[in-house]
Amino acid sequence: MKRATSRATSQEKSRTQSQEKTQAWSRFPALTEAGWLGAALLLALGLTVLVTLPSGASPFETIAVLLEGGLGSVTKLGRALAGWVPLTLCAVGLLVTFTARLWNIGVEGQVVMGAIFCTAALRPFDTGGVPEIILAMAAGILGGALWALLAGLLRVFGRVHEIFSGLGLNFVALGVTLWLIFGPWKRPGVASMSGTEPIDVSLWLPRLGPMSVSWAALALALAAIVGVGLLLRRSSWGLKLRAVGENPKAATLFALGPRRRLLQAFMLCGGLAGLAGAIQVLGVYHRLLPSISSSYGYTALLVGMMASFRLGPVPFICFFFAVLTVGSIQLPLQMGLDSSLSGVIQGIMVLSVFIVHGLRLWLRQRREAA
Amino acid sequence: MIVLQDIHKHYGRVRANDGVSLTLEPGRIYALVGENGAGKSTLMRVLAGHTRPTSGTIDLGGRTVAFLTPTLAREHGVGMLYQDPLDFPAMPIWENFQLGAPKRTKGQVFDVIGELSYRLDACFLPDEAVSSLTVGERQLLELLRLLDLGATTLILDEPTTGITPEQKRELFDLLMKLAREENHTIVLVTHKLSEALEMADAILVMRQGAIVATLTPPYDEGELVLRMFGDAAESEGADAPGPATPRPAALDAPPRLRLDNVVMAGPKYSMGPMRFSARPGECIGLAGLDGSGQELFLRGLCGLDRMPGGTLTLDGRAYTTNDFPVLRRAGVHFVPADRLEMALFPALTLREHIALAFPGRSDELDAFYQSQCVERFNLRAHPQTRASELSGGNQQRLLLSLIPDHAALLLMEHPTRGLDAGSARQVWSHLHDRCRAGATLIFFSPDLDEVLAHSHRVAVFYDRAMAAVVDRARATTEVVGALMAGKDPDQVLGGGQ
Amino acid sequence: MTDTMALALAAVLMAAAPLILATLGETLTEKAGVINLSLDGSILLAAMTAFAVAVTFDSPWLGMLGGMAVGAAIAGLLGVIGIFLGQSQLAVGFILTLLARDLAYFLGHSFSRQPGPDLGLWTIPGLGEVALIGPVFGSRSPVVHLSLVAVFLCWWWMYRTEAGIRLRAVGESPRAAFGRGIRVRLVRLWYCLAGGALVGMAGAAYSLAVKPGWGRPQGCEGAGWIALAIVIFGGWHPVRAALGAVLFAALQVSGIYLQDIFPSIPAPVFQVAPFPMMILTLLAVNMGRVGWIQDLVRRHPLLKRFSRGWSFDPPAALGQDFDPRKGL
Repeated sequence: MKRATSRATSQEKSRTQSQEKTQAWSRFPALTEAGWLGAALLLALGLTVLVTLPSGASPFETIAVLLEGGLGSVTKLGRALAGWVPLTLCAVGLLVTFTARLWNIGVEGQVVMGAIFCTAALRPFDTGGVPEIILAMAAGILGGALWALLAGLLRVFGRVHEIFSGLGLNFVALGVTLWLIFGPWKRPGVASMSGTEPIDVSLWLPRLGPMSVSWAALALALAAIVGVGLLLRRSSWGLKLRAVGENPKAATLFALGPRRRLLQAFMLCGGLAGLAGAIQVLGVYHRLLPSISSSYGYTALLVGMMASFRLGPVPFICFFFAVLTVGSIQLPLQMGLDSSLSGVIQGIMVLSVFIVHGLRLWLRQRREAA
Repeated sequence: MIVLQDIHKHYGRVRANDGVSLTLEPGRIYALVGENGAGKSTLMRVLAGHTRPTSGTIDLGGRTVAFLTPTLAREHGVGMLYQDPLDFPAMPIWENFQLGAPKRTKGQVFDVIGELSYRLDACFLPDEAVSSLTVGERQLLELLRLLDLGATTLILDEPTTGITPEQKRELFDLLMKLAREENHTIVLVTHKLSEALEMADAILVMRQGAIVATLTPPYDEGELVLRMFGDAAESEGADAPGPATPRPAALDAPPRLRLDNVVMAGPKYSMGPMRFSARPGECIGLAGLDGSGQELFLRGLCGLDRMPGGTLTLDGRAYTTNDFPVLRRAGVHFVPADRLEMALFPALTLREHIALAFPGRSDELDAFYQSQCVERFNLRAHPQTRASELSGGNQQRLLLSLIPDHAALLLMEHPTRGLDAGSARQVWSHLHDRCRAGATLIFFSPDLDEVLAHSHRVAVFYDRAMAAVVDRARATTEVVGALMAGKDPDQVLGGGQ
Repeated sequence: MTDTMALALAAVLMAAAPLILATLGETLTEKAGVINLSLDGSILLAAMTAFAVAVTFDSPWLGMLGGMAVGAAIAGLLGVIGIFLGQSQLAVGFILTLLARDLAYFLGHSFSRQPGPDLGLWTIPGLGEVALIGPVFGSRSPVVHLSLVAVFLCWWWMYRTEAGIRLRAVGESPRAAFGRGIRVRLVRLWYCLAGGALVGMAGAAYSLAVKPGWGRPQGCEGAGWIALAIVIFGGWHPVRAALGAVLFAALQVSGIYLQDIFPSIPAPVFQVAPFPMMILTLLAVNMGRVGWIQDLVRRHPLLKRFSRGWSFDPPAALGQDFDPRKGL
């Protein structure tokens, strides 16, 4: 405070000076950024090797298997893209809630709820076409948005932090899925973890050539990226949401309706997550499974953090993480390792980015203090 | 004896201290004066070991060091008292007292507190939480603690803000006693010249990070002002203009604001029922110690805290609930003291603030910025500057420029907090202009002189209630101070009110 | 007290033991001003490590030490990144919870569904014959005794020692604590480690006593989040937090009985029941801060007295960063 209130003139002068100085020592900011990113990736690689050592497997062979499993053929690439779609939808949705400084950990449950609503909407139809598919997607969006709204209401009116409400609701959504699969929606004959009765082929999303990903799903994910980008950066709604996130108290003074806007952010993110759930049902699994979300919600949170909550890097990180997730399916088959290694690598990567950020901050403060 | 040699303290490019040398002798009272941002507090933090100087040496009784830590400073008997006491409100008094002291049992701590309280004429219940004390009592507790630790050099940073005149009297007597009878060194950091003139054996004047003069009695007030403010003092005059008296027409105009049996409720306490009214063009100052109810009064008036009972009438329209957006549309605007924390968006630019405050003008933002902020409010900053990079004065200019001209009721918490004298004058002249144009201003300041200088009427709060409303003619430091300390209004005002 | 009552009480204490340990650990860490969100993953990784070490060296107590070391290591990592490198404690904690969980499944792959040692029972000589407490405590898993001793130790440490005053001071106001000569960041890191070790102990308690063995799923998934909620419910006080943990465990255990009474309700419903309960608990705790409820409480003296023991403020500087180099 004291520093901020010191003489405006000397501050302004000093600011211009420091700007000149900054330009002098980092002529190529992009190169510096790339260097730090490289450092983070190296750190991640080192840590990955370190933690995989106890398992006894060769780390580099393992990584090769992972990448081959996600990129090795057109079919595998298709699977990776099929994972990219829900991951991107969730991550892009999370940017909205992150903008409002909300920790929407409930995104996982919102994916599940989207899948449940989507399946529910399809139950009356044995066969169908485009209208039924659109209806099912809309139902999925509604399901996710409502589940997010619940977390939002608990946060805004009940003052329960969204980390707890979201997490609790994730488990509840999983419980509802299990109950439906083993109860009212169980397959004729015997109920099992393999899920409900598959939906008819006429209700499947159309595939992109030989790949298991649907062009419709890809188009929706791309549209979500562009749409959220425009919404957050170009619209006055986005500016208001940023303001609410930046300082809720000031947002009240500016009469920006912070409560309503937080709820809107929750619902928008939940809607996108619900759409991801619907696509998992319509385009990937064609039924409701206990693991319908494939933990994409949690992974999307990691993506958002790794991207420092900026839109630009999100699609690329999502793709890489999707490749890892799909590739890890090969691990138990080829190397006798647990498939959770993909999660380990993803976690380590994000952690490394945070460590490198922290080190930069630390170095900068040391330099300023000196 | 303490000698500071050529102390520099730089924050990035800002030079808070720029080569300060200073000698402090025992048994003397020093006043360190200067404008906000002159570097007084930084210098004292260096001495208390709370911040490390960029360069320079500190000589304490023969030992020379490059910097002090809080522990080292304590060992050499240096203790600092902050304006906002550095204590732990949620914890009991005895734990606050014990923390940082050599190991003792709880019983011993109780004894020491009792003994010191007796010596200094204070009264503390060691098991009570510190949050139950007033700012003045918290300061006294800190003072007790520092003395218990063996402090012989006491630094007091703006100690008279937020305490009653009576408490100030007692504090000054105590400091005088400590210096004269116990040979302590006292450094009084203040921006109030009267306090310096009253107390000090020597006045050290700081300006732009350096000590520009050391004055000894007899003091020449004109010279002191000149040293503090430089040439600016001559051209502008040190005193801000007083408020304009309300125009005659306004006196019999319908009241701008009327409260009937209004109850206000905040997160910690509720207050009321209250009756109150204000005319257009009136400046009403609120006086009271921290937590006496004035904060809740302002927040309740604008709808940030709830109004569970009563009627609020604004320009003839009656409201039984105080919904913030509704009142805001009716022209009630609130400016909190903590500007960056409460009222601005630190990472957003000035342009974006304008866009948020005036949604209808999104097409001509830059022109509007130029005319509103730069020309009318003298806000000299690029529209793409972030709010967090603004100085305190510019933050306040920005906030004032965001309030539309038709605002009927302005509610301000400490309008000049953290501002230098020039900015403070500018803010007040703007506020008086608004009042002359018919707006009603209700403001609070912990600085009683500021309240008295700018109000037509002063509303005094005590113990979470509005104790009395005093007219300008009768609002003297003594009267308002007595009311703030809880004296019976009938006695103080002679039963007239 | 009948035998069935004693058995039920013993079952509740057993289920509560790891929750109590984890809650105490997090209470210590949060009291010092640091939020360790990595509890859930830490418990899993510690459970896996404890079991793996116990199997490898055939020593459950060595396993418990291993679990504690892992818990402390994760919390230490969070401490270093969050306190010294100035990154968001929430973000790092969340990353660590996911990372530790996946790491547990990955590294524990080869120990999955293996037989292994557990901590067994402690029989305290003579206690078994004592009326009332005999049947409950006479011959129980050591984690029950450990958890109860830990509650007392934590309370004593926090409220009856000099170190405890310093612990609460850095959580209330790091600036003021720094002014008193306390090395704030070191104290915080220390309580990260201590709290993490207790959390690790909770993980070991799961895999060596409460739900012996390792697998995917282990059965303690989600316990960390529940413990985090109980810290809030307990108002950052070790004894109240422990009571909260026992209450929660009681509800969980009664769920098992209810399952027998209502066989028509599918098992998954009972499995997820703790989580809505967690949300409702937090809702109830936070209700005291909602405006109209405050008005109601103020009007009724009886409610006012009750509300004083209901809602508690978190440590004032919880989750806030402090850098002594910037000075005060």
